[in-house]
Amino acid sequence: MSNFVLETINLSHIYSKGTTSQVDAIRDICLKIEKGELVGVIGHTGSGKSTLIQHFNGLLKGTSGTVLLDGSDIWADKSKLRNVRFRVGICFQYPEYQLFEETVYKDVAFGPKNMKLSDSEVDLRVREAISFVGLDESYLEKSPFDLSGGEKRRVAIAGVMAMKPDVLILDEPCAGLDPKGRETVLNLIKDYRETTESTVIIVSHSMEDISKLATKVLVMNNSRLAYYGTVDEVFSHAEELKEMGLNIPQITGLFLRLKEKGFDVRTDIYTLEKAKDEILKLLKGGCL
Amino acid sequence: MISDITIGQYYKAESFIHKLDARAKIILTVLFIALIFLCKNFISLALTLVMVILSVLLSSVPVKMYIKSLKPIIPIVLFTAVLNMFYTGGENVVFSFKGITLTSEGIFTAIFLAARIVLLIIASSILTYTTVPTMLTDAIEKLLSPLKLFKVPVQSWAMMMTLALRFIPTLIEEIEKITNAQKSRGADFESGRLLQRIKAVIPIIIPLFVSSFRRASDLAYAMSCRCYTGADTRTRMKQMKMRIRDFVCIIIFITSIAGVILLNNLFGAVI
Ligand SMILES: Nc1ncnc2c1ncn2[C@@H]1O[C@H](COP(=O)(O)OP(=O)(O)O)[C@@H](O)[C@H]1O
Ligand SMILES: [Mg+2]
Repeated sequence: MSNFVLETINLSHIYSKGTTSQVDAIRDICLKIEKGELVGVIGHTGSGKSTLIQHFNGLLKGTSGTVLLDGSDIWADKSKLRNVRFRVGICFQYPEYQLFEETVYKDVAFGPKNMKLSDSEVDLRVREAISFVGLDESYLEKSPFDLSGGEKRRVAIAGVMAMKPDVLILDEPCAGLDPKGRETVLNLIKDYRETTESTVIIVSHSMEDISKLATKVLVMNNSRLAYYGTVDEVFSHAEELKEMGLNIPQITGLFLRLKEKGFDVRTDIYTLEKAKDEILKLLKGGCL
Repeated sequence: MISDITIGQYYKAESFIHKLDARAKIILTVLFIALIFLCKNFISLALTLVMVILSVLLSSVPVKMYIKSLKPIIPIVLFTAVLNMFYTGGENVVFSFKGITLTSEGIFTAIFLAARIVLLIIASSILTYTTVPTMLTDAIEKLLSPLKLFKVPVQSWAMMMTLALRFIPTLIEEIEKITNAQKSRGADFESGRLLQRIKAVIPIIIPLFVSSFRRASDLAYAMSCRCYTGADTRTRMKQMKMRIRDFVCIIIFITSIAGVILLNNLFGAVI
């Protein structure tokens, strides 16, 4: 058994192929995602992030190329595609707009019920999922439409978590939330991964968030895979990232500016700790 | 894919027909339909066909686009044509076998039926491919404005129509998004009995309604913020103007109708 939970081989996708409005959304993507990683996907708007992740559970089929889940082609047997969707759970951008049941309980149970689990197992999963997202059980009997925006978002995320997918994918889970809501959502995703030891993929605009959370970073640029590696590796390309129009973490930006001014500093720094060390080193070196 | 539907799809180009006044184009389309249904023999049908081909060529819209709009209805056309072929009675039996008879009247009916439907679709496609939907509703509003005398709220209707057209692509996009989200949670839209399938769309319909209502109320706020108080007092930024070429086209079409009627009488009707 390979160590890679998801692999893509020369994956490309063209929307509306053969018409005047043809778009090459992703091109020749080759990547291997190890089990248990928390992958942060970044890239400018329209770089193909959402398109890429929709290939991971077979919502889209590549115009060419293959997607392997645990080493086997997800399109090899079409009747198993639904199983793939249970193993790779995607939570889309603004997931609160997909809520439809009368109660939170029923909505969260939608996924597990589709998996044909027993009633007691469904019940267990719903309660587990709702606690993952930091809501107490009094929410279960409420109508999802009566909740606040942030709570709705969390209920929708719970709906995907309740399926306990091997790979949990979240497309911009913090879009449109206030700073406090963002932090809550990011923390609960982190906790979920630590508890379940599953692989998590987060699409985000914010380098800041990604640098705090992720173990690996995947950078998309103009439909192509620009970088895939550890946070350190990717942020060592800070200048290139900036050219791609990505807002690098503030701290990295600071060091980039220092370098421009002629100081001999590293530019792959994104945490306060490392920044402190680097600046101390600089001071000791007597440059200032 | 659901987004392949081509209702009211505008094809951007700078052709003669694109530049015609939208009101003229609606009138021309009505005349076209009259033309198509007045043909009663092959010579008048040929004249109509020439008119259609000329218009298609003048529209600068690729023939491929017209074929695309015809594709979905071809099975229906063939089916009705074949049915008509066998069920139309007549004296001139061409062929008879085991109680099935084929008359020349039947064959002609089938040909005319198929030709009329196809031409009808093409004629209306010319209109929708060459006219922006909002121009179309504006034009309908103008053409129906005499009804205002009878206190019919033509302008409000036109506004509703414009908004409805505007939101068709948005709704289609929304349906796709919600469907993908529910599929990701294991919703199954492809298998099961009829009742199960009907139930399966609930997770799509409800979020769709919720977001449509939200969108409608947002839109209403946005419109009142821009002082929309009803349609009657609005003026237009782009004034519509009938030019000589619009009148020339209408005259050509009326002449053709006269021509078709003449040809029908000269050569006799076959159906
Ligand atoms: N359903 C679709 N049909 C046609 N084009 C699309 C569709 N979805 C996305 N695109 C196009 O594909 C490109 C990549 O989009 P997307 O994957 O949504 O990027 P991102 O999520 O990085 O913003 C964009 O140019 C977008 O316009
Ligand atoms: Mg996106």
